[in-house]
Amino acid sequence: MNRRFLVGLLLFWSLGPLLWQVYTSFCSDQALIQPFSSIDHRWTLAHYQNVLTANPPFWRYLVNSLFVGVSSTFLCLMLALPAAYALNRIPSKLSMLSRLALVGAALFPYVLLFLALLETARVLNLGNQLLALSLPYAALSQPLAILLLNSAFSDLPPELEDAARLEGLSLFQRFRWILIPLISPATASTAILVFLFSWNEYPIALTWISDSNKLTLPVAMARIAGSSIYSVPYGAYAAATVLGSIPLILLVLIFQKPIVSGLTSGAVKG
Amino acid sequence: MIVFLLLPALLLLVVVFVGPLLRYAWLSFHADSVITGLIAIPNGGANWLRLLQDQRFWQDFGQTMRFSGVSVGLELVLALMIALLLDQRWRGRDIVRTLALIPWALPTTVMALGWRWIFNTPYGPVDHLSRIVGLGSLNILGDPSFTWMATVWADVWKTTPFAALILLAGLQTIPVDLYEAVRLEGGNAFICLRRITLPLLRPYILLALLFRLSQAVGVFDLIQVLTGGGPASSTESVALYAYLNALRFLDFGYSATIIMASFILISLLCVLAWIVLQILIPTQSKSQEVVES
Repeated sequence: MNRRFLVGLLLFWSLGPLLWQVYTSFCSDQALIQPFSSIDHRWTLAHYQNVLTANPPFWRYLVNSLFVGVSSTFLCLMLALPAAYALNRIPSKLSMLSRLALVGAALFPYVLLFLALLETARVLNLGNQLLALSLPYAALSQPLAILLLNSAFSDLPPELEDAARLEGLSLFQRFRWILIPLISPATASTAILVFLFSWNEYPIALTWISDSNKLTLPVAMARIAGSSIYSVPYGAYAAATVLGSIPLILLVLIFQKPIVSGLTSGAVKG
Repeated sequence: MIVFLLLPALLLLVVVFVGPLLRYAWLSFHADSVITGLIAIPNGGANWLRLLQDQRFWQDFGQTMRFSGVSVGLELVLALMIALLLDQRWRGRDIVRTLALIPWALPTTVMALGWRWIFNTPYGPVDHLSRIVGLGSLNILGDPSFTWMATVWADVWKTTPFAALILLAGLQTIPVDLYEAVRLEGGNAFICLRRITLPLLRPYILLALLFRLSQAVGVFDLIQVLTGGGPASSTESVALYAYLNALRFLDFGYSATIIMASFILISLLCVLAWIVLQILIPTQSKSQEVVES
């Protein structure tokens, strides 16, 4: 087998299902039920029209997900950066142990937490608030974020901080002006991964949010599926899939370097 | 001072990870359902006794294991092939690597419904293909013997890029001269794979395996949207069963018991899988001996 064939196969495998959605989204309803025979009036933009003029319109979900993604990422980094730094400044045995616990937490199938988190949301009245979702999201992405940032801090030469300390810079100043700028590549990787997690998260958003104006994208998509087992509006759904995928595909294309380095540096050092 | 830097993150982690587990352990010994008016009343070990005799739980647990074992196994093999392909130098490699990452980045629920349309009988392309090949209409999402394979397929599609990327990172740490040494001694590609690639890749394979296995046993999004656990709960996972108990049957006590039991069983299985793989994949030192001898 030559390489070109294998690469083609890989691309077909990865992108084929998506392209089928793109194709479906432009097909009229009659065309949908006979996708392989030639008929008139195959192409239509009606599905996109429906999705964008529905109540609430589709872009609302994108805005909601964006809002949750950004706030979770911000909160996660605010907590993880100091913690990742401090992890190198405590006795090494304790630090080793905490890293082990963090790996355990990162491996934990977080979906099992949904029930207790739901109860917490009920008690604290956090349901149906987009901003509140960033609390569990920031917490759930904390283990990975701390591990990635911690390994970035460990790679910095210790003399650097010692010199800054001799110059009389306070801990906050060293942090803000010396250390944070130096680990910005790792911070970018972490931020992207946390954002992707928050954007895609489903079980918690499903149980916390019921107001249809506040749904995040994954839950809104699944609601279409849940509306009826037998007749899912596949045309409209495919249009929604395409619209919902575009921001993420752009994100992956633009930030492929930090994403890849984030995923792999965790692997290489872990 | 240092403690204050750690404290906020630590607090959040304890609240979100340790808190729930303690809560589940406590709740699993209480009746807390719509019958008790959602008030927790101690009921001894009744939940646990019910769990032991609950056919549906054990069926779901078996199905979850089948799903995880098959899909993680397929993923690792496929990921290794993709990683080997992407490790070679050829034009356009970086863009292909990026494009191959797209399935991983998309929300699970989005493509789960996409797959539902692809596996649709009779309008989907898979059904069309099976009719052309002469297998007839397969009714993939309606026949329990096929449906679970469809869930595996969709899962493999989505998560293989992640595993491939980790293995690729591992491949790039292997020095090229090791391969040359084997080739000088007349070894072919298969011997290279067996004696060098696999042993040196071992930590990465274990990492990918552990990460993927722990996520696969918690499978929820994909199953809920693709099949809803059906047909006849033949694809239901333990996480979905726990979800149904809490939000459809409003039985929080029993849902907590399911989660607690799953957690214990899953931890045991992860340890077991780890040990088996430690034995299965030859260690680094052995392969180096082979190279040196």
